[in-house]
Parts: sequence; C-alpha cells; structure tokens
Amino acid sequence: MGIKFQNVTKTFGGVSVVDDLSLEINDGEFVVLLGPSGCGKTTTLRMLAGLETVTSGDIYIDGERINDVPTQHRDLAMVFQSYALYPHMTIAENIGYPLRVRKVQKAERLERVSRVAAMLEIESLLERKPRQLSGGERQRVALARAIVREPRAYLMDEPLSNLDARLRVQMRGELKRLQHQLGTTTIYVTHDQAEAMTLASRVAVMKKGRLQQFDTPMNIYNHPANRFVAEFVGSPSMNFIEGEVEAGTFVSDSLRIPLNADQLRKLSGQSRWTMGIRPEHIQVLAEPYDGAIAATVYVTELMGNETFVFLSVGANRLIARAPADFRAELESKVWLQLAIEKVHFFPQRREDAKKE
Amino acid sequence: MIKNLRYVLLLPALVFALAPVYWMLTISLKTEVDQFASPPPWFVFTPTLQHYYDAFVTRAFGQYLITSAVVAVTSTACALVIGTAAAYGLARFQLPWRLNRRLSLWILSTRMFPAIVTAVPLFLMMRDVRLLNTRASLIIVYTAFNLPFVVWMMHGFFADLPRDLEEAALVDGDSRLGALVRVVLPLVAPGLAATAVFCLIVSWNEFLFALVLTQTDAAMTLPVGIAGRVTQYEIKWGVMSAAASVAIVPILVFALALQKYLVRGLSLGAVKG
Amino acid sequence: MPKSRRFFNAPRRRSKHELLLPALFIAPALLVLLALSIYPLIYSITISLQQETASGVKWGLGNFARLVSDNFFLTAMAHTFVYAAAALTCEFLLGLGLALLLNKQIRGRGLFRASLLVPMMLPTVVVGVVWRLMLNPNFGALNGTLKQFGINTESLTWTASPRLAMLSVIAVDVWQWTPFVFLVLLAGLQAIPQEPYEAALIDGSSRWQTFWHVTLPLLKPSILIVLLLRTMDLLRVFDQIFILTEGGPGFATETISLYIYRTAFRFFDFGYAAAMSFVLLALTNVISAIYIRFLQAKEAA
Ligand SMILES: Nc1ncnc2c1ncn2[C@@H]1O[C@H](COP(=O)(O)OP(=O)(O)O)[C@@H](O)[C@H]1O
Ligand SMILES: [Mg+2]
Repeated sequence: MGIKFQNVTKTFGGVSVVDDLSLEINDGEFVVLLGPSGCGKTTTLRMLAGLETVTSGDIYIDGERINDVPTQHRDLAMVFQSYALYPHMTIAENIGYPLRVRKVQKAERLERVSRVAAMLEIESLLERKPRQLSGGERQRVALARAIVREPRAYLMDEPLSNLDARLRVQMRGELKRLQHQLGTTTIYVTHDQAEAMTLASRVAVMKKGRLQQFDTPMNIYNHPANRFVAEFVGSPSMNFIEGEVEAGTFVSDSLRIPLNADQLRKLSGQSRWTMGIRPEHIQVLAEPYDGAIAATVYVTELMGNETFVFLSVGANRLIARAPADFRAELESKVWLQLAIEKVHFFPQRREDAKKE
Repeated sequence: MIKNLRYVLLLPALVFALAPVYWMLTISLKTEVDQFASPPPWFVFTPTLQHYYDAFVTRAFGQYLITSAVVAVTSTACALVIGTAAAYGLARFQLPWRLNRRLSLWILSTRMFPAIVTAVPLFLMMRDVRLLNTRASLIIVYTAFNLPFVVWMMHGFFADLPRDLEEAALVDGDSRLGALVRVVLPLVAPGLAATAVFCLIVSWNEFLFALVLTQTDAAMTLPVGIAGRVTQYEIKWGVMSAAASVAIVPILVFALALQKYLVRGLSLGAVKG
Repeated sequence: MPKSRRFFNAPRRRSKHELLLPALFIAPALLVLLALSIYPLIYSITISLQQETASGVKWGLGNFARLVSDNFFLTAMAHTFVYAAAALTCEFLLGLGLALLLNKQIRGRGLFRASLLVPMMLPTVVVGVVWRLMLNPNFGALNGTLKQFGINTESLTWTASPRLAMLSVIAVDVWQWTPFVFLVLLAGLQAIPQEPYEAALIDGSSRWQTFWHVTLPLLKPSILIVLLLRTMDLLRVFDQIFILTEGGPGFATETISLYIYRTAFRFFDFGYAAAMSFVLLALTNVISAIYIRFLQAKEAA
C-alpha cells in the first residue's frame, strides 16, 4: 500500500519541525527514516499515524488523502519506543486488544493471538503482565500487538533503542525476516545508521526537519547527496578535508592530490571544496611509495578484526582502516595511498569552514 | 541515648493524641455511675451497650446515620463522575487561550472560599427553591464542595499517566471514549479510589453546611444530630459518646486504607500551580 | 520530548468541532461550580448591599458601614487573630519537632505515624464531644486525673471559664491539627536527598548548623504550604468552637465565623452577615496571596 507525503510541514509555535517533506513509499517497502535526534522523525511518523496535525501539505495512503481521518480509522499499527504496553492487561490481552476493539469474535481472537505468539516465540508469556517481562520480551509483545492484524502499514519508532547491543542486533535480523515474510509496508524510525543500512529497502535521511536524501542504502553510502549524509552514514565516519582546486590538483595544507579529468569537470566553476574519503579507501603503508602522502600516526585502535589508524597530515586529521595485524608506533611516520576514484567532493559552505 | 530520648518525647505525644479518643469510647460504654465516678476510671469499669441501644434504637441516631451515609455516598459519586471528566479534559485536551491552566486554577480557587461565606447565600438559595431540610440539598452542596478537590487530584493522576498508552489504543483502532474506559480509567483506578475515600470522609465529617441546611430529624446528618445533643441543657453523655464513637468508625477504617495518599490529598496538591 | 506535547492535538474531521469534545468533558464541572460557588457569591454581594428598614429595603453600603462601629465584630476579629496566631505557632513548632523526631528509622515508626493521624481524621463534631468530655470540670478526665496527682482543680473550669476558654479551644485545635503539620513536614523531610547532609557532615558542621543551613531552607516550600493551609483553616474556624463553647462563655471565644453564623441564623440579618463574610473572604485572599508570593519567590530563586 503506497504512502505519500506531499510538501508536508509541521510547525510548533512557529518553529518548523518538519519542513516541506515529500516522500513516496511503495507498497511493501521497508523505509527507514534516519537522522540525528530532534530532526523530526518522530513527528513525521506521528503525523502519519494521526497523532499530530499536519500544518500544511498532504498525506496519502493508497491514494486517499488522510489528513483529516482520525487515528483510529487509519488502519495502521505502531510500535512505540516505550512499547506502550497496557500495564493492567495480560500479554494475551495486550496482543488481542486491536482485535477486541474491532469486535473480532473471542474464539478467532484467541486463535490469532496464539498464532502471532508462536511466530514471535512468546507463547509462554501470554498469561503474564508487562511488568514481569524483560526489555526484549516487551519488545516482542509490542511487535506482536502490531502484527496481530493486517494493517495497511507498520510504523516503528526506534523500537530497538531500549535493548542492549547484542539483543538489538538479534532483533534487527528477526525484524527483517518478519517484514519479508509479511510483506507489509513498514516505516521505521531510527538514529542508528547501522540499523538503517541493514534493514531498509530505502533510507530517508533527515536533518533539521528537511529531507536530505531518499535512496537505497547502497546509494546512500556510495553516493551521498551532501556532506551531512556522507558524515552521518558509515562508521567510522567519512574523513573530510577542506581545500582548493588549483591547476588540476586538490590542495589542502601540506596535502596535494592530483585529480582525474572526470573529477575536474565536475569541480569547475568553484575553487573551494571539501573532499570526503571513507576510512576504508585510505591504505596505510609503512614504506614511502611513489605518490603516497606522508602522515604521522596519532593513535591506533585495535578492533580485533581490523585496526583503526588515526593520522595527522599537517593540520588535517584522518582515520583509516587497516588490517588486524597492522602495527605502528605512535608518532611514527607512515605513507597513505588514497583511492582517488572513491573520493567525494562537496561544495564548501561557510558553516563547514567554521567547524574546522 | 539519643534514641531513647526520641521515645521519651514520642510516647507522651502518642498518649496525648489517643487518650482523649479512648476516654470518649469508655464513656460510651460506661454506666452513668461510672461516668461520674471520681477519680475517673480509665480502665476498670463494667461495660454496657445501653447507650448504643438508646442512641440508635430509641432515639433517631439510626436515621441520622443513614442520612449521613446516603449523602456522603451520593455526593461522592456525583463529584467523581463530573470531576474526573473535567480533570481528563483539562489534562488531555489542548484548549485555546491557556484555558487549561486558567480553568484549573480557577476551579481550585473555589475550594478556598471559607464555608461560612457560601453557607449564608446557599441557605437562602435552598430556601427559595424549597430544598431546605432535604437530603438533596446536602448532596448538591457536597458535590460542588468536593468537585475542585476531585479535579485537582485526578488531574495529577492523569498527568502522570504516559500519553503513549492512549495513543497506542487509538492506533490500535479504539475510539477516544473506548481508550478512556478500557485503558485510562483502569490505570488510574487506585487514584480514583483514594480520591473517593477522601470525598467520603469530607462529606461524612462536614458540619457547617449540614447545620445550616438541615434541622429536621428526617434530613439531618450524624454530626448535626450529635451537635444538637451537645448544646442541649441536659446532656446525655453516654448517648452522645456512643453516636460519636460510631461516627468515627468509617473514618478510621478509611484512613488506614489511605495512608499513602494522605499528604497529597490533604495538601490538595498544595497550590503548587 | 517537551512536556507540552498534547495528546489530543490529533486531527478531527472538522476543526469547528475541535472544542466540542473537551467542552463536553469540562462543562458540567464548570456549570456546577458556577451555580454553587460563583452564583452564591454574587447573591451574597446583592444581599450585603441591602438593609431592611422600617420603610422597606434600602440599597447601599450601610451594612459595611456598620462593621466599623460594631464591637461584637471587632472583638470577633481580635479573637480570630489571637486564635489563629496562637494555634498556628504551637502547631508549627510541635509538628516540626515531631517530624524531626520521626524522620529516622526507629522501631514502631509506622505505629507512631498512624496513631498521630487519628485526631485530624475525626469529624470536628466528634473532636468537640471528645474534649467536652475531657474538660468537663465535674467529671472530666483531665481534672479527675489532675486531682489524683493532688492538684487543686477548683479554678480549672476550662471552657466554662472566661479566662481559660480561649486557651482551651486553642489547645483543642492544636490537638487536632498538629498531626497534619507533622505529616506534611515529614513528607517534606523525606523528600530531601541525603547528599546535602553528607556534604554538611564532611564540611564539619554541627547538628544545629546543619538544621539551620540545610534542613530548614530545603524544607521551606513544605513549611510555607502547610502554614498557608493552616492559616486559611484557622481564620475560618467554626465547628469545634461551636460544639465546645458556642462562642461563650459570654462571647469570650466568638470568632468571626461564629459571629456571622449568629447574625444570619439567630438574628436573621442576612445582609449584615453577608457583608461580614466578604471581610473574611478578603482577609483570607490577601493572606493566601502573600503566602503564594513567598512560595513563588522561593521557587524562582
Ligand atoms: N508537541 C511539541 N511541541 C513543541 N515542540 C515539539 C513537539 N514535539 C516535538 N517537538 C520538537 O520537534 C523537534 C523534533 O522532534 P522529534 O520529531 O521528536 O524528533 P526525533 O524523533 O527526530 O528525535 C524537536 O526539536 C522537538 O523538541
Ligand atoms: Mg524520536
């Protein structure tokens, strides 16, 4: 079932929290709204659910404009960040609640509740109350309550953020399988880029209420639309170097990087640019090499399967990924090989320059 | 050493708090001879239930008791229904012109009027509509009297309740009223019960309005009945004590059930504003 | 998430009806209060402006003018202030003392607490009965017990004595309401975190210094609230005095509420009673406004 946001704006007391958002979500898609905390993701989701009015613009579900349809008639299911389980009901009653208010016969209700309970492996909890459950179990119950009926879409607001890291990764996988199985349109809010990358069929990156880019995870990662997206997605974060294009070369401080013709064509017309390069595209070498850049090791962090190398190149600080067996003394000299064809360029704005 | 000093100070306070009440209980159980004995027998006397029989069978105290109960229960029920609805409205709907806060404060401020200030006009109003000496007049007045308290207490309970739960109920497809009945009210039930008990106590204990509005045996409450006996020339001490002892039983039962909420209730959410 | 997020910000079919639902919830309460709190006040204003004279009803401020030269009124005001000031002082000091004594884990604390609550839960009428029985000069428990200890009780006629009657009614109020002060202050004390005390201990301050510089300032909001509530109640006192002395002997314990009652329901001069009740209302309003000013100043600081 398609969902469409058309020029949707939401203001609170004159402040735009969601600003001119247009987004078209296809039937069966798993779309993740990604952005730092406070960027308006929850507000977007709540507008879709009808828990918040739309200041201007329109929201459509299956082509029907739903701005004025009350929440209870929108036929959506939502998993809240707090799970919002009804504390006075048993787990079975919690899961059965959406059916009960739809006047589903008791026998069928019980049947469906036990079916989803089996699917999520929470049959043994059905007679308990929410407060007797662990965080992970509550999360499953909230999920069960959402999938017990067949809503037009699932809305999930940071459903995994209250779980510990290990459980989060496990649930992430299960969510993905579940959505695949059910095939229902899902809109999922998170500030965790790893969650977005692993779950989404498409990611919508937001910043301060504005949509930055809406694309597949691969494209978001490989072709970020702007510096914000480039920086927000990927861990460790992309390296940024401020500089100028002079005579076919990108120049910054002590750093000089020759550019190919393709890049030069794109960079014509403006001289100040920010170059971005992901840590995995910097190779750290112990020996000098033709065209390699001299750098000093600031610190290294052993991750087990790889090593993060923090480097200084003149005034610039860079992070590179190196193999697990990479060893280097602090302050030792190394040489860097940049994968030039993987480099991104972003026009320099005043606010970027200030950050340096 | 300091610890023992604590007890040395606390024990007299305890005796001072309880002894007078105990003394009244003994009077209600003593024969007239023991009542007037000197020195006063605190512990050793022959108990009798004669005064209870006199008060509640021979005299009209049984009827006062019923009136008190009817008035307290009915007015509490009315105040709870009307007040809880208002509290929910004020806690959960965004009203224009900052009305949420303004109305809450205004409602609370009506509770601050000294009773005697409204007692005089209420007497005249009730006389005009011929409701003097009826239970209805007391039920109406006590409902209004308890209303600000109910609104204030329940407002607090609703505000403490996470909004998520109602929102989840709406998304799950329930109507607003359904969410109120199936999700919100069950969750504030303990607070509702505590509030109800407070209203019952206040109505049960109330004296001035009852004195002003009811003067006949058919309509007067227990406190008015007791007070009538006290200010007579020939006082039946035993009967009066028996009636007073019965009057405190429900209060003590309720008070024990309610210790947890006592401060919040008695300080009326304490004008925090 | 900001606190102001309102649940029923949610859309409705027609925005015209946005206020219909909240109005349905709130209106009944407002109507009841308008009819039974506000309308009586207006009613009261109109009758306070009327005086019955031989030539019919005369409109004007006559009832208010009478106040100034009415000795009963002035004495009743004086009694009210004496009563309120004395009872407030005693209740506060005793209540604070008890709260400090019980703000420690000691054996039987629950029992102490529950027992101390008994007086304030009683109907005021019962309090009156209890103390009539205690203070009766002939067979009352107080004098009887004092006699047993060899104390001459001949002159201790308590509520029947013009000299001791005021003292007696004040003592009864202290008996009934000290527990309330105690309870609120105890709750206030228990809400104070442990860290300031530990810091004071490390800084080497004495018990007395800690009380003065840590406990009292942190307890100030509770203190102000309890004083406000008690003051309001004391200024309007009626029930206990009505049962204990009916304002007597003579008029030795007649407070303003009792005098208003006597004027309205013994002399049926409702206009004058209404005028006096406005003075009482104004008085309580001014005093509560002062307290609330203090309270807000403390919060802002
Ligand atoms: N009811 C509201 N009133 C005022 N401001 C709000 C309200 N709800 C959210 N906001 C503000 O809108 C911004 C976006 O909030 P939200 O959508 O919750 O962000 P996110 O979910 O992306 O962290 C925040 O700055 C928040 O303070
Ligand atoms: Mg959020």
